[in-house]
Amino acid sequence: MNRIVLSHEPVAVEPLLELDAHPECGGLALFVGTVRDHHEGRSVRHLKYTAHEPLATKVIREVERTTRERYGVPYVRIVHRLGDLSIGDIAIVCVVRAPHRAEAFEACRHAVDAVKHGAPIWKEEFYADGSSVFVEGCCIRDDLDEHATASHRHHSHASHG
Amino acid sequence: MKPIVFELFANLERLAGTKECRIDADGGVATIGDALGLLAQAHPELAGSLERCACVSGDTIVRRADPVPADGRIALLPPVAGG
Repeated sequence: MNRIVLSHEPVAVEPLLELDAHPECGGLALFVGTVRDHHEGRSVRHLKYTAHEPLATKVIREVERTTRERYGVPYVRIVHRLGDLSIGDIAIVCVVRAPHRAEAFEACRHAVDAVKHGAPIWKEEFYADGSSVFVEGCCIRDDLDEHATASHRHHSHASHG
Repeated sequence: MKPIVFELFANLERLAGTKECRIDADGGVATIGDALGLLAQAHPELAGSLERCACVSGDTIVRRADPVPADGRIALLPPVAGG
């Protein structure tokens, strides 16, 4: 189970499908996230993903494992790209193989959401004027409520530069 | 006493202009929360962002009430936005 979950190189989808395995599966759900050319009205030229790699690797492997267990599916595979990406490049791939389509769709959606909300990966968007912004995200502290009011959760941490 | 090294990610790195902040801690610093207090004093540009950061030692999220890790290294992870 040492398959990579973070890639500094472009991600190839085909090998992640494992079409030559899992004969008991009749459903394959695939989500591919690609780089979009706009965000909140601004034109995006390219972007950069960075991560805290040790924790991101652990979190994504945990998402794969818990998704398999929760949805009873035999195969969940997630790869997230890091580094400099152009418009249209693949940012994340999630593949689920399942006996039937319903659990394949549901498991795939769950796994992608869980990675977006929990893995320490950051997206820096670069705009036409040369400035860049870290996209506002989800706080992953697990002891926040003991120390802070709910309003802190929603403060923007984006800055322009 | 061994210094405490904060590793900065994403917007924190941008705010501080560096990937690491080194803080000389005295005997009064027992917990990660204490260490964050010193960091906020030494780097006021980071103070407003620390509340929403997770602290990580190795590959594990640690809490404000936990002791400072033995190796003195704390990664500060601002809110995440992958995918």
